[in-house]
Amino acid sequence: MSKQLGFLHSSEKCVGCRGCEMACKNEYQTDAAPRWRQVFQLHEERYSLPTRMFFSIACNHCANPQCLKVCPVGAYTKRDDGIVVHNRDRCIGCRLCTMACPYDRPQFNHAKGKVEKCNLCYQRLDQGEKPACVAACIPGALELVEITAELDQKLGVLKTLPGLPTPALTNPSIRFIGPKQGKQIRRD
Amino acid sequence: MGTVEWPLVLFTVLGETSIGILLALWWLDRTPLDAGLYRKATLTSGALLGLALVASLFHLGHPEAAYRALTHLGSSWLSREILFFVLAALAWVYLFLQISRPNGQRRVAAGIAGLLGLFGIVSSAMIYVLPRVPAWNSAQTPLFFLLTTGLLGALSLLFLGWKSLSPAQMAGLMYWSLGCVLSSLFSYILYFSQLTGMSPEGLATAQILTTSPLFWLRVITNWGAPLILLLPLFKRKRSFNPNLLLTLLVVSGIGEFLGRALFYLSAVGIHISALK
Repeated sequence: MSKQLGFLHSSEKCVGCRGCEMACKNEYQTDAAPRWRQVFQLHEERYSLPTRMFFSIACNHCANPQCLKVCPVGAYTKRDDGIVVHNRDRCIGCRLCTMACPYDRPQFNHAKGKVEKCNLCYQRLDQGEKPACVAACIPGALELVEITAELDQKLGVLKTLPGLPTPALTNPSIRFIGPKQGKQIRRD
Repeated sequence: MGTVEWPLVLFTVLGETSIGILLALWWLDRTPLDAGLYRKATLTSGALLGLALVASLFHLGHPEAAYRALTHLGSSWLSREILFFVLAALAWVYLFLQISRPNGQRRVAAGIAGLLGLFGIVSSAMIYVLPRVPAWNSAQTPLFFLLTTGLLGALSLLFLGWKSLSPAQMAGLMYWSLGCVLSSLFSYILYFSQLTGMSPEGLATAQILTTSPLFWLRVITNWGAPLILLLPLFKRKRSFNPNLLLTLLVVSGIGEFLGRALFYLSAVGIHISALK
């Protein structure tokens, strides 16, 4: 693997509009139930700010993907750019990957009897385009980045947020920028 | 996880009982064993193994493509489980051929089938040793699966062979069953104490268990009743009551099914706890 692509999400910019979720659904015409991308709101009491704060999660294309490890049919592969691709044609719907992922991102589609997840729009990336969710994000809260040591050393870049599983489990390829102190004042 | 997963409950418990019978046969066959019992136990084991394999297919979204599950042996315990169970089924066919011959190598065949099945059961258990699920992520998961194998295998053979087994063989199976019940009870107490001090997810699992009526029914059927029912058998070794043996098998079987159903139902995985 020559590099590791991933997402950088800024909770400072995110307004929780779920435009990224809808862009993903529009791009792939997915059924209603599986949500490849999902916007979450942090519990106010778990973050030391009286703010309304969101983060958006799809497959994290982990450096240590548990889904890939447990899949009995080899439906998961990791590309050279670090994207974890799920091949739905190979999937037999055993659901073991849904048990193994702490982010609940591979999701079982009961209508199709198979698991689905975000493939980071690799076909769009191969044509030089941005992933659908990144392209649709109005406030520019979601970015496609290369996960590097330099990125992790930047001020304000976080590996996790309160309410997320410990990154030690899978080493997810997502980074966050939390809200700045005192800027957002709206309460639930 | 979070649901009962009946196909998996049936597959694991029936498969473990089947392999347990084969292993018990192999173990008892050190001393002369009645050919009729061998045949009866082998056929029972085969029927249970067949039912287990069929039940496992109902868990899949696409059962017609189940053969593909053999293609990721390098890292997937599910692939290894299927491989070993298929090999155990083939070894069972070999065993069946051996018991049909006058001088067949039945003990070797039972040993091979049992050993392959044992590998399958350990692989089955290892599927659930997932870092995401604290309630499963320990050596106790394979231990529970192996204890089910030992208990139901021995009790099945005890019931099937109550007429033809020698008192020493019966006593051996009873001591083995008692050992499995006691090991299961004490390891579960240890498991439970670890759950409550482990993590929020472990604590949530413990809460689901203690508030579920199924758990208390399991306490009675899996540990309480077998211990009570085994005692009279130890007192009257020479006059075994088949009704008592059948009751012991059925009650313990119910306990094991409940235990396995709760295994799936009560597991809480590490997850995103933010608001959706």
